[in-house]
Amino acid sequence: MTRVAAAAVVLLALSACERPPEFYPPPEQRHPAEGVNPGPEAMMVEMDSPDANLSIVKDIYPPGGTSWRWTEQDPTVKVLVLSTDKLKLRIDFAIWDDGFKTTGPVELSFFINDKLLDKVRYTTPGVKHYEKPVPADWLMLDREATLSFHVDKLYVSPRDKKRFGVILTRIGLVP
Amino acid sequence: MIRVLAILFGTLLTVLTAWALGAILFRKLALKLHRAEERLLSFVVGSALLSAIVFAICAVRVVHRGVFLVIGLAIIGYAVYSGALRASGDSFAPLPRLWLWVFLVAMTAFSYLAFFHAMMPEDSPDGMAYHLGNVLKYQQAHGFFRITDDMYANLSEGVEMLFLYAFDFGRHSAATLVHFTFLVVLALLILSYGRRIGRPAVGVAAAIFTYAAPIVYFDASMAYIDVALAAVLFAGFYLLQIWDENCDPRLFIPIGILAGFAYAVKYTAFLAVPYAIGFIAWKLWRKRQPVLRPVAVVALLAAVFVLPWMVKNWIEVANPISPLANRIFTNPYIHISFEDNWRRYLSMYDLTSRWQIPLQVTVQGDHVEGLLGPLFLLTPLALLALRFRAGRQLLLAAALFASTYFGNIGTRFLIPVVPFVSLALALAVADFPALLLALVAFHAITCWPSVIQLYCAPGAWRLERVSVRTALRLRPEETYLNQNPDYRMARLIDGVVPRADKVFGVSQTGQSYTTRDELVGYESASNEVLQDILWTPVIREFQPTRKLAFQFARHAIRKLRVVQTANAPMDQWSISELRVFDGAMELPRDSAWRLTAHPNPWEVQLAFDNSPVTRWRTWQPAGPGMYVEVDFARMQTVDGVVVETSSDAANTKIIAEGLDANGQWITLSDHPVESVNPIHTSLRRAAAAELKARGIRYVLMKPENPGADDLRRYTEAWGMKVAGVVDAQRLYFIP
Repeated sequence: MTRVAAAAVVLLALSACERPPEFYPPPEQRHPAEGVNPGPEAMMVEMDSPDANLSIVKDIYPPGGTSWRWTEQDPTVKVLVLSTDKLKLRIDFAIWDDGFKTTGPVELSFFINDKLLDKVRYTTPGVKHYEKPVPADWLMLDREATLSFHVDKLYVSPRDKKRFGVILTRIGLVP
Repeated sequence: MIRVLAILFGTLLTVLTAWALGAILFRKLALKLHRAEERLLSFVVGSALLSAIVFAICAVRVVHRGVFLVIGLAIIGYAVYSGALRASGDSFAPLPRLWLWVFLVAMTAFSYLAFFHAMMPEDSPDGMAYHLGNVLKYQQAHGFFRITDDMYANLSEGVEMLFLYAFDFGRHSAATLVHFTFLVVLALLILSYGRRIGRPAVGVAAAIFTYAAPIVYFDASMAYIDVALAAVLFAGFYLLQIWDENCDPRLFIPIGILAGFAYAVKYTAFLAVPYAIGFIAWKLWRKRQPVLRPVAVVALLAAVFVLPWMVKNWIEVANPISPLANRIFTNPYIHISFEDNWRRYLSMYDLTSRWQIPLQVTVQGDHVEGLLGPLFLLTPLALLALRFRAGRQLLLAAALFASTYFGNIGTRFLIPVVPFVSLALALAVADFPALLLALVAFHAITCWPSVIQLYCAPGAWRLERVSVRTALRLRPEETYLNQNPDYRMARLIDGVVPRADKVFGVSQTGQSYTTRDELVGYESASNEVLQDILWTPVIREFQPTRKLAFQFARHAIRKLRVVQTANAPMDQWSISELRVFDGAMELPRDSAWRLTAHPNPWEVQLAFDNSPVTRWRTWQPAGPGMYVEVDFARMQTVDGVVVETSSDAANTKIIAEGLDANGQWITLSDHPVESVNPIHTSLRRAAAAELKARGIRYVLMKPENPGADDLRRYTEAWGMKVAGVVDAQRLYFIP
């Protein structure tokens, strides 16, 4: 009886012997891809995109069924930097005629990762296009960059006291 | 209609087979029990036997509908033929008329809720994910197979064996109805116990206290196991009380079976074994009667039901009580950090203080997954039952089985204690029938779904509505289930993912509705590695941004080690890459090298694979003496070592050691120079490639999962494609 029990225990122990080893040879070596080029549009946030909310950090109003959105004072977005070489900050926006009558000329300060890139004073209303090269060392490959601008004067709606900056169509980095 | 018949057939076959098995055993033992006790206890004991039979069928991998049918019909046929199903004992005295009506009205009302909810298509979180997810896997594979990437498959699955039996005929709802059957049996057992101790009103009240408790009837109407466990524990207690009365040694057999089966149902019920043994030993010792033999009989029978689960785990994952005790039974399948974090979470959920528990588990129910009802705020009153012998026995059992509760403070984990507390509470006020009746009425009213919503916290987990049309399949099952995104994603996976491919997801989903293998991030060590790979591109602290360079005089050594010297209880230590230099040249990684590490030797290759998204980790707090080692298999000259690591291990400190020609470990350098390790590769592409190399072609992301936004926004940068979308859940394909 004792022998049978002992044999059963040994059998049981052996059945659990398929333990993985604790010493290993070096594995197959990986060769990660050096760069990726998914297209310049990946670094641009279009205000009519259903995914735009994922990139918006603050101060951009929800869409109103248009291809543009109103901003507040410090509209901010995040984009993934897919390359750092010869990139430009590009923003398409408009200054509202009626608002301009109240605010007068407005000054916009443009930031990349909270570093001041540029300041521009706009003395007329209407559609604007802004583009300026970004120093390569301000960006890191495969990391998100924060793009923002500051509107110095806001139009305040007399009806509901809502504050409006500019009408934003797109903002992002382009090669 | 056919669907309903299949559900009822699966349930009835399982219940009748279990009952018949128990009845045959009870008839062989010729136990002297009351008629009702005999029927109820034989079902519970028979469930243990049927569970063991299904375990054996799974072990030899002959799970087939025909096998189950033949076995079931043979057992039922023999029970009928032998007359075992005809209970032979005396009946209890009739219930007082008032209490009979109270019992019938309350039971009917709450049975309506629980039965029809159980009949509805199963969509409970754990039920559709793993309780029945694993059942489906066993059914598909015709039995057990080695599962090393799902810790839920390592838990004891005694009730899931019964689910499998029913599932093979009636799918999900048949399994759920088997669980519901345990609720009915439990309530009737409580009633019987009250009648046995000469307190029928106590039995009625306690049965309703238990039956109507919101978490109890809700749990019983899903493919969970807690109510079944409560029935098993209470039946074991009941048999011990009978033995205490009549000293019939034949009772040791069902007592031993149920003590072992309690463990087989749920690890937390392991205390049933020492309770049964201790009870018997104590009583016999006090009577100056032999202790050893009865205790040995109970222990051996319990072992028959406990050991198969331990042996299964020992063979499959090298740990008999996996996923627990991984520090003792070290293994590559469950990380110690997972166990630590899991325990930590389950012991507090997201409560800020344990003083919140009483109100949470009775009234609020939003942070602890359910509520028992405000009546149970009176639980301290149950101490008044200490004046009765039965009260002392009930409270002792309640205290013992509640002692594991703080390991998981979910309200469900109190269910096994509820019958004991209910009886003790009813007993405490038994001398005031009007008060007892008022308590029953108060409990029944406050536990009705439309009343609960008046006082529970918003989001409390509870049964909110029952649809008889859906339960009877007058409304298509698919229509109801399609409201659940996890179900729709499961169906999408079945439609899109080839049969041999695996899906990796961060959180669990409707696994019991897909035949594809889904790996869930936290459910095993290998899955956690996949998750680490997936998260490295999006969590900066995981990335190999730190370079620790050791420079030292040229040495000829046979082995090289990087050793941890700091005690950093809040940090894990990790190495993304370990590079060895001789002069300016990095030594190519020779196939003759032998790599190891302590702890976690099984993942050491991750520090030598040249991938920026994989890393060897301790998966436990960093401590002195931990190391990663290279055996060059010959004497090798070296003068530098570079360790690429992440910033989430900032409090760790390392030194480099070498094994010289004399077999002595010498310190090569204890002052690494730290610098930034620039990353020039696309981590997203690297992660996708690594997942693919590990056999993962599909990634499922729910919106709340870390990294979900990143994958959605930069799908192309990951090199993935969207394979399907269900609400905000996305299934990605790695081409």
